[in-house]
Amino acid sequence: MADDEQDPKEYRWETGYEKTWEAIKEDEDGLVEGLVAQFAQKAARKTIAQKRGPVRLGMMRHLLVAVDCSEAMNSQDLKPSRFICTLKLLEKFVEEFFDQNPLSQLSIIAMKNKRAEKITELSGNVRKHIKSVQGLTNMALTGEPSLQNTLELAGRVLRPLPGHASRELLVLFASLTSCDPGDINTSIQALKTDGIRCSVIGLAAEVRICKKLCQDTGGEYNVVLDDVHYRSLLLEHTSPPPRARSLDAGLVKMGFPHSAPPTTQSDASANADPPITVCMCHLEEGEGVGGEGHFCPQCRSKYCSLPAQCRTCGLTLASAPHLARSYHHLFPVEPYEEIPNDGQAQYCFGCLRSFTDLDKQIYQCKRCHSHYCWECEGVVGTTLHVCPGCASRPHLYQRLPDAS
Amino acid sequence: MADDEQPSDSSLLVIIVDTNPNQRYITEDPKVLTGCLDAVIAFANSHLMQKSRNQLAVIGCHFHKSEYLYPSPGKPLDVRQIDGQYELFTLVEKTIKMRLVNLVKSQPLDEKPGESLLAGALAMALCFIARMRREATPGLKTSSRILIVTGSSDTAAQYINYMNVFFTAQKQQVLIDVCSLDKHLSLLQQGCDITGGLYLKVPSLEGLLQYLLWVFLPEASERTKLVLPGRGRVDYRAACFCHRELLTIGYVCSVCLSVFCKFSPICTTCHTVFKIGGPLPIKPKKKRMKV
Ligand SMILES: [Zn+2]
Ligand SMILES: [Zn+2]
Ligand SMILES: [Zn+2]
Ligand SMILES: [Zn+2]
Ligand SMILES: [Zn+2]
Repeated sequence: MADDEQDPKEYRWETGYEKTWEAIKEDEDGLVEGLVAQFAQKAARKTIAQKRGPVRLGMMRHLLVAVDCSEAMNSQDLKPSRFICTLKLLEKFVEEFFDQNPLSQLSIIAMKNKRAEKITELSGNVRKHIKSVQGLTNMALTGEPSLQNTLELAGRVLRPLPGHASRELLVLFASLTSCDPGDINTSIQALKTDGIRCSVIGLAAEVRICKKLCQDTGGEYNVVLDDVHYRSLLLEHTSPPPRARSLDAGLVKMGFPHSAPPTTQSDASANADPPITVCMCHLEEGEGVGGEGHFCPQCRSKYCSLPAQCRTCGLTLASAPHLARSYHHLFPVEPYEEIPNDGQAQYCFGCLRSFTDLDKQIYQCKRCHSHYCWECEGVVGTTLHVCPGCASRPHLYQRLPDAS
Repeated sequence: MADDEQPSDSSLLVIIVDTNPNQRYITEDPKVLTGCLDAVIAFANSHLMQKSRNQLAVIGCHFHKSEYLYPSPGKPLDVRQIDGQYELFTLVEKTIKMRLVNLVKSQPLDEKPGESLLAGALAMALCFIARMRREATPGLKTSSRILIVTGSSDTAAQYINYMNVFFTAQKQQVLIDVCSLDKHLSLLQQGCDITGGLYLKVPSLEGLLQYLLWVFLPEASERTKLVLPGRGRVDYRAACFCHRELLTIGYVCSVCLSVFCKFSPICTTCHTVFKIGGPLPIKPKKKRMKV
């Protein structure tokens, strides 16, 4: 993965002279409407196609996001400023990240004045992260960042985690320089040996050391063009990375709490427990007394929201839908086949839209042979993850290995 | 969700009718299906009557496939006004009945009816809703929901399809309502809970239309003001992949998140071999806290 050094045409000006207008051809009636529709479809489908990654993924992710808070963030080439734009996007990122990686944990780091400071501890608490990101708005942006200190901190936080968890660092880097106490190459090597994947999104221009960091640790390096590009680069990091080779696979013991303790008379412990309970996630704040909650099946500590790691016995607590949300990575829909529209079908199986002359291509599922319009093909591949045709046929609907 | 607060300009309702002949209420008395269908059609027309911009689709879920009963693909049926009834209502009723007959006729005779594949019908419904949103007039607020009317029982066999469909509905702010005619449906109830829809098991089939009109006709923005059946307690335990039994403590493969009830050295789903030496150690037990 790290050997992509010589991808030949990295920049537009390195490619040959293209006569882009020659691609436009009129049809028999001298119209280009069909072609324009085809171009629009191609562009829309291209973004979808890139999203389809490999199947084996590291799903219990641990990600540190380091935000440059140095002077370089004051620049206004992103509106209203690099920093404010970053915070806005980061908020969205946090939400999306937990939406796609429900059993994962996140921590935010600020890089300023040659130091790296933890803003939030590694946790799965969405509200806390978002609050902290919002709280950064008024931070004074001073000094130079230190990439090496950030890497060292990341190493300290991520190294003790169990081997089955993915360990990642994402740096949002605006400065063109880094003020480091020692040789950054040794830090990079240390991260590499520990299988910590580092990615950088540059806000200004390409920096050689960042590129090396990403290449050596198997991460991705990109430099933003504008805020829209920034957004898409950042959100790309919400989908799980290809599973790193060094990751240990493991079986993790997990608890699936009921929403309330059993109230049957036969359960003596339920009667013995006092009705007033305190939620463990709010112990410090002194909130969360009484009310509904989820009880750890091992030690009966109460939590007001899931997923959580039991603070008393260490059991990971989740509900079945938390796991199920990720299953589409495991059983992806086979991509549909693009076929020329020769009137094989009159309408789309999914949405019932009639095919018209503008549908030069239609899509067919290889398993159930239903025909789909290009819009439904996109919906099925990116969000639905279920082929409507297959899911409603008795011989095709199951994608699980059989129970026997 | 976001639509909860303000009333919408139009609402799109997709009704999924389970027509599987092996539902208990049909095997006991096949004529009841007609009664239920009439109730659903009356309910559908009441929905159309509420606002002129309201939209409707009906999907029939049979055991061998699911099909749109309304609207019909291509040209709508040719209907003339009968007894002063609004043409649209006649069209809805005629189309649904005609297409249902075709659907039932197409069932393979040599196959025993199996489970109703409601997850597939839900996937179709979500495709339809996505299309209607693409084609909607910009600026118009449309709320969308799906109502399932079924007398089948649910099994874990469609689990993954169900979950994918539920989470898609949640993301697209589509409510899933479930009206159960016979058994308690714990999986579909999870879907209602995830998407913010309503779940109701009707006590008797005679009053079906009344239940439909009272409980399921109001759209999301109106529901907050009404007294409707509560959510109840939803069981969110995971089912193990090996025996499909509900667990409170299980073992989860860190690669693919498959759930197992016992420790095994290899994951049967993704074929990952786990390190020997039993399950991963969890943090050492600290002193038990009691409050
Ligand atoms: Zn516990
Ligand atoms: Zn379609
Ligand atoms: Zn298919
Ligand atoms: Zn089992
Ligand atoms: Zn596995």
